[in-house]
Amino acid sequence: MPTTSTDLIAQLERLGGEFAAAIAPLADEQSIRAAQAQYLGKKGQVSDVMKELGRLPPAERPLVGQAANKVKDTIALAVEERLGALAAGRRAADLARAVDLTLPGRPVGGGHLHLLTQVRLELVEIFAEIGFAVAEGPQVETDWHTFEALAIPKDHPARDMQDTFYVADEIVLRTHTSPVQLRTRQTHTPPRRIVAPGVVYRRDDDATHSPMFTQIEGLVVDEGVRVSDLKGVLLHFVNRFYARLTGGAGLDVRLRPSYFPFVEPGVEIDMSCGFCRGAGCRLCKGSGWIEIGGAGMVDPDVFAQVGIDSERYTGFAFGMGIERMAMLRHGVNDIKYYYEGDLRFLDQF
Amino acid sequence: MKAVWSWLLELCDLSNVPTVEEGARALTAGGLEVESLVDLGAGFGGVVVAEVVGKRPHPESNKLTLVDVITARGGAATQVVCGAPNVPEPGRKVLWAPPGATLPGGMTLAVKAVKGVESPGMLCSETELEIGDDPSGIIVLDADDGTPLGARAQQALGVADWVLDVNAPANRGDCLGHLGLARELCALLGGRLVPPAPEPDLEALAADLDAAALADVTIGDPEGCPRYVARVIDGLTVRRSPRRFAQRLRAVGVRPISNLVDVTNYVLFELGQPLHAFDWHHVRGARGSRDATRGGVNAGGLYPGRGDGNVPCVIDVRRARAGERMTTLDGQERTLVPDDLLICDGERPVALAGVMGGSDSEVSATTSRVLLESASFQPRSIRRTARRLGLPSEASQRFERGVDPELAPLAAARAAVLLARLGGGRIARGQVDVYPRSPIRPIVPLRLSRIRSLIGADLHPGECEAALLRLGCEVVPDGEGHWKVTPPSARADLGREVDLIEDILRVHGYGNVPATLPALRVGPAQLVDDVADRARRALAGAGLAEAITFGFQSRDRAAALGLATDGSDRRAHPVALRNPMSAEQAVMRTSLLPNLLAAVARNASYGIADVALFEVGAVFLRAAGQALDGEPTALCDEPLHAAAVLAGARPRWLGAPQPWDVFDVKGVLEALTRALGAGELRTVAASDIPYLHPGVAARVHDADGRVIGELGEVHPAVRERLGVEGPVFMFDVALGALPAAAPARMRSIPRFPASARDVSLLLDDPIPAARVRDVISAASQDLVETVRLAEEYRDAARLGAGKKSMLWSISYRAADRTLTDAEVDAAHEAIVARLVAETPAERR
Repeated sequence: MPTTSTDLIAQLERLGGEFAAAIAPLADEQSIRAAQAQYLGKKGQVSDVMKELGRLPPAERPLVGQAANKVKDTIALAVEERLGALAAGRRAADLARAVDLTLPGRPVGGGHLHLLTQVRLELVEIFAEIGFAVAEGPQVETDWHTFEALAIPKDHPARDMQDTFYVADEIVLRTHTSPVQLRTRQTHTPPRRIVAPGVVYRRDDDATHSPMFTQIEGLVVDEGVRVSDLKGVLLHFVNRFYARLTGGAGLDVRLRPSYFPFVEPGVEIDMSCGFCRGAGCRLCKGSGWIEIGGAGMVDPDVFAQVGIDSERYTGFAFGMGIERMAMLRHGVNDIKYYYEGDLRFLDQF
Repeated sequence: MKAVWSWLLELCDLSNVPTVEEGARALTAGGLEVESLVDLGAGFGGVVVAEVVGKRPHPESNKLTLVDVITARGGAATQVVCGAPNVPEPGRKVLWAPPGATLPGGMTLAVKAVKGVESPGMLCSETELEIGDDPSGIIVLDADDGTPLGARAQQALGVADWVLDVNAPANRGDCLGHLGLARELCALLGGRLVPPAPEPDLEALAADLDAAALADVTIGDPEGCPRYVARVIDGLTVRRSPRRFAQRLRAVGVRPISNLVDVTNYVLFELGQPLHAFDWHHVRGARGSRDATRGGVNAGGLYPGRGDGNVPCVIDVRRARAGERMTTLDGQERTLVPDDLLICDGERPVALAGVMGGSDSEVSATTSRVLLESASFQPRSIRRTARRLGLPSEASQRFERGVDPELAPLAAARAAVLLARLGGGRIARGQVDVYPRSPIRPIVPLRLSRIRSLIGADLHPGECEAALLRLGCEVVPDGEGHWKVTPPSARADLGREVDLIEDILRVHGYGNVPATLPALRVGPAQLVDDVADRARRALAGAGLAEAITFGFQSRDRAAALGLATDGSDRRAHPVALRNPMSAEQAVMRTSLLPNLLAAVARNASYGIADVALFEVGAVFLRAAGQALDGEPTALCDEPLHAAAVLAGARPRWLGAPQPWDVFDVKGVLEALTRALGAGELRTVAASDIPYLHPGVAARVHDADGRVIGELGEVHPAVRERLGVEGPVFMFDVALGALPAAAPARMRSIPRFPASARDVSLLLDDPIPAARVRDVISAASQDLVETVRLAEEYRDAARLGAGKKSMLWSISYRAADRTLTDAEVDAAHEAIVARLVAETPAERR
């Protein structure tokens, strides 16, 4: 049967015309591509038609070639359209999804630091801002470091202030972190500027006293250290630590003369009550002031114990209870909660 | 110490008399914290002083009396019905609560009929006004009471007054008396101290007796007793103290007893000098002295010689002999130790010096002649004795803090005068004063420059000098800006320049000190290792909550781990506390685990079964070379540990709970060591850790093979001992033993792709994963980048009994090229060959 260019062009146009219908029922890319190959591949139907091209006179061949290219374009376009339609359908189906976002979130982490650790880290940071480094020492301490060298000999009435746990005649559980300042003074020459946070022990047990608790003690030793410097450092601390509590209102610090054997002068530290702003409340017992710790200028006798010349160097020390700070700021109403590992408490912070 | 406001004001002459609130504020600001301020007369109101002008029986009752009272001289009488048995004769004053008056408890009086007779209000008793404890009748004012008619009852009762509870610092024994507090008020507010001046009265009340002839005092231990002053008061009658005198004692917390005892207490609170009153007749003379009526005949309580024996009684102050006994006035027989300081008469101890008198020599209702002791004793000695015998008293409390020896004569004279007045007696002439070594008062040099540089404020020299003078110091200028200062004898705490500076600062006011920051100077470098806090952050980040538990625990809890007690494990030999407050605090912890397990049990009891807790803290081990039992002679090792426990299930999200297993806790440990940069740790199975499940237990080794901790499932018997029901997975590592982390160094980011190959192995079940890993690593194939165990399972049906299958995924990479399949296959096959041969294993 003779082949004419008209025939071939008609065959190609038919193939182009039937392709779109052929892939219309196909719903996945793979079968659409297979259908495309069936038409356009080396052994595809278009190729079959083009094999007849050689029989045509050369002058007619370009016409058929043009028709073949047109069919290829038509098929490619049909594939693209069909794939596009399928993608749009999938997108629409995906967007039709709806999730109940009132379901709880899947838990992540859930771990946290103990409130006392959080507060201690914050304190260390606050003091680091003004140049304090951290120092530590043992909890089971010598009587000498805990008392004797701090001008508290045996039978001194001040030992009543700190009822002590004994391990042996000369070994105690430290009742304050002051031995740490002594140890750093033994090993370091001035200038020194340290804070010593740490666990201490006293024989005392009620809602505001625990036989074990945490103190932070600060020490500055240098030439020309003054009572006014102590006041300034405490003001910095109070206003940084309690700032969020008072909504940014400035807190004042009051030093009240007191007695601690290892400092002279010795003072109690009061801060103005940020809870009632001085109007009087339960926390400040109506006085407008809250006692937050003790402090003073290092006693010359204590300097002498560690070989520091008290004519050349002066210094101050202060000590505060971390539990109490956290109680004040976070409203903890019984000190025992800190140490019981009770998740009902721990998980609140 | 409790102080009465009017009493304080009596002892000072202040430039401006302050209100009690101002006084309290000044004391607090000056370091004598006023903890409370109580209005003594606040309990009742409207009660007035009235005079009885007539009385007759109630027509209907023989227990009731109709009493006519007036509240103004010449005023109209009011008839009040009274049920008390002690309605006084006309002329005496009583306290009338008329209608409208209020009583403690809030009752308001009205006109009320009592058995048919109208009574406008009532006459009051001590208990009704809550000012005393005598319920037996109405208050009748002393015959010589000068309170005007119609005055407030508070005035007559001595309760128009305030009590200040003052917390005196431990070194201010001088402030345990009104005189010392008055000195402070004078210094802080500006004024002059006005101590009692008994001298003129001593003369007026003198007896025709000589104290020196009635008391023979020797101090055998001048260190224990620096000074002993004695006075003798004769012709006394024991009776109740006057109402307002007694009221002051009540206000400071002392129950009035009799005039003789009350006077010694009164002077103690007034001056801070404890006194003791002996019945002179019961203080014996020298053994064998010729006065047979003294001594030896007191068995029946008869003292025939009372009042006439003028042979001196003997007082000797000495230390007790071992085993010596005496009966104190509380009736207790006390066995003494040589440290105790005694007051003895010619034959026996009559008082524990400064602590408590003896029962044989105390004043009684029949005492007529008193030997008054006003002495000072060594603080340490008194403190030890009071402590040992558990006898803290107002007196011992003061001696413990030091009583000024210079105060003794004044206190003796003051008390003698009060005794003579209140007891109707006379005072023997002179005093016996034994004062072997009067102390040298210090002269303290003081520099203005030091004052200013220590305080940080430019105080004026005149202000400094004025402050010291107001505090009672003698001040002598010693060149420009220098002084020589002699503090008052009462202020033993002022011995150094810095002590004076403190007092100047107290008077100057801390509020006037500016706030500065200390100049920041660089000190010597200091390595700060915050491994504990880095560990805490890592463990919190891994999803655990931090616990902080006590450093001590009960013996039971410490023993719960069942550690070997053969000396091989220091943790089995905790250090004990000598004086724990309870059995819960008996020994120092040697492991963090028991407290954490107890916390698991506690949470379970609150219904919280899912627990993930950690603690980072010290444990306390006996130092190397120390005995394993008994009290240590050296400080403990305090290694820093981190321990974690997982109990119950993972944090849950819808669906069934997923219980923790040991690989969760191992994962936490791996997260911890990663965060600390501690390098790869190795776990080595160990069935001999007594507190861990023998099949789920391992020791943790560092890269050098040292054991740094333990990991596994807590032994069921151990957790049950601590009250924990379900499985608990734990680790405990010594943080200090972890290799110190060097800062991480960056490795090049790979530029060429990796190729992975898997190998599936069939092994005998007991062969651990670590063995496979070791063989892979021993194959030393440089191209191996990572080795990962992707799957592990057992299936007796498919694999055979006692077998398991493991799928390992090994990733290969070269830094300088893309590996060819041939290269990867070669390396992989080399590894597989070794695995088959050495593990041993079959390839599946």
